[in-house]
Amino acid sequence: MRRLILKIHLWLALVAGVFMVVLGVTGCIIAFEPELDRLLHPHLSHVKQDSRIISLVEIGEAASTKYGGEPVVAYLPSSSPDFPTQVILSRGVVSVDQYTGEVLGIRTRGQTLLGFMRALHVQLATGDMGRNILRWSNLAILISLASGLYLWWPRKRVRIRGPRWSRLFWFDLHNSFGILSLLPLLMLAATGVVIGFEDGIASLLDKMSGRQPVQSPQISTRMEPALSAREITPDQAVAIARTHLPGTVAYRVQMPRYGGLYVVALTYSDHRISAGANSISIDPTDGKIIAANLSTSLTPRERFMATNEAIHTGNILGMPTRIIAALASVLLPLQVSSGLWIWIRRTTIFRHS
Amino acid sequence: MNKTVAIGFLLAVSAMASDLTGKWSGTFRVDGGDHNVPQLFILKQEGNTLTGSGGPNAGEQYPIENGKIEGDEARFELTTGEWKFAYDLKHTSPDALIGQLKLQRVNDSRNAKVSLTRSKGQ
Repeated sequence: MRRLILKIHLWLALVAGVFMVVLGVTGCIIAFEPELDRLLHPHLSHVKQDSRIISLVEIGEAASTKYGGEPVVAYLPSSSPDFPTQVILSRGVVSVDQYTGEVLGIRTRGQTLLGFMRALHVQLATGDMGRNILRWSNLAILISLASGLYLWWPRKRVRIRGPRWSRLFWFDLHNSFGILSLLPLLMLAATGVVIGFEDGIASLLDKMSGRQPVQSPQISTRMEPALSAREITPDQAVAIARTHLPGTVAYRVQMPRYGGLYVVALTYSDHRISAGANSISIDPTDGKIIAANLSTSLTPRERFMATNEAIHTGNILGMPTRIIAALASVLLPLQVSSGLWIWIRRTTIFRHS
Repeated sequence: MNKTVAIGFLLAVSAMASDLTGKWSGTFRVDGGDHNVPQLFILKQEGNTLTGSGGPNAGEQYPIENGKIEGDEARFELTTGEWKFAYDLKHTSPDALIGQLKLQRVNDSRNAKVSLTRSKGQ
């Protein structure tokens, strides 16, 4: 039995090892994507805190004036006193100092190195085939972890012996790091499998809970291209939305020219699961709330998927769990390479003897 | 004389058929995506210029930007927020538009395949 489990453990690494390395390296990088993005664009990411914040209308006018009078598509109000407010235009995303109205610059849309890392993590940056390979590789990681635990159990090694870089050293390293990273890697792999097979799992959950997928509410179309003088402002839309959902902050305001209504997305700062699942749609002519999608009214499937994603990204308990997720991701390539190195050395020794 | 009228009539019908004005519906599927995304367009063609709106349904529509028609090809863009959608479609028959879609946001770019048909009675 042990010999069979060892073979499964080895063959999974031989077949899917390279994809496990890709998942580990890219996962570690994208765990800190927002921080890395700000680090790469410091001049667009930081403002000096002041006591007075100007209105969204003033912020939008500053951005629009700077870039040829383009209409504002949406606002992304600042999530921290040190971060600027972002204004989405057709040509890109403009960073504006919400205290002074100074336009800091624009980010144009398109692929970057960070985006490529995410594309590699999700679909090997190759579309359908890459996505299929990765979803099965995630399953291979799960089986590798379970088989690794079975192989570790009799001797329970958690210390590194032997001369450095010897076969014993690598063997102990593989065992010790394997058991230390087991739990977070199990969580990452299991939640990754759920994400990979999301469609099938989601419909299964819907069947189990006896609920049908929720359809978006049909809202009457509003096609006038420009904002009339009688329409409410984005600041008023945010105020109406926050009155409806006290204790929240707005993190996105979609303008009615783009979509027909004001759509204000709100978040509770202390809710990490499905925190962003609140949105209030407001009629721009009279300020009446047309629809409210709240995180409290999520279906069991939506709640399960949101929790699963929060665990996978490490957002479930904030920065500590993100660091754990990133460290576990780093250990995955180390486990694959140390395991393969043990196997290569062993095969070479057998061949020589 | 009759021949000239018939040719003129056929040309007029052909011109009307190739006019993209009307309601178009269909789906797009992102490469590597696991589901089709619904699409509904209300197009208006004036010469080689294409205007109107598009979105996932009649209730959520976004204005068409930079709409152009060259021969049997239609190109236009939509900005829905973080994402910008650039369509490059071919008019394969009077009632069908098929082609590519490039979706872009900051740090990200994806490709998709689009298929639209003219809604009946429009």
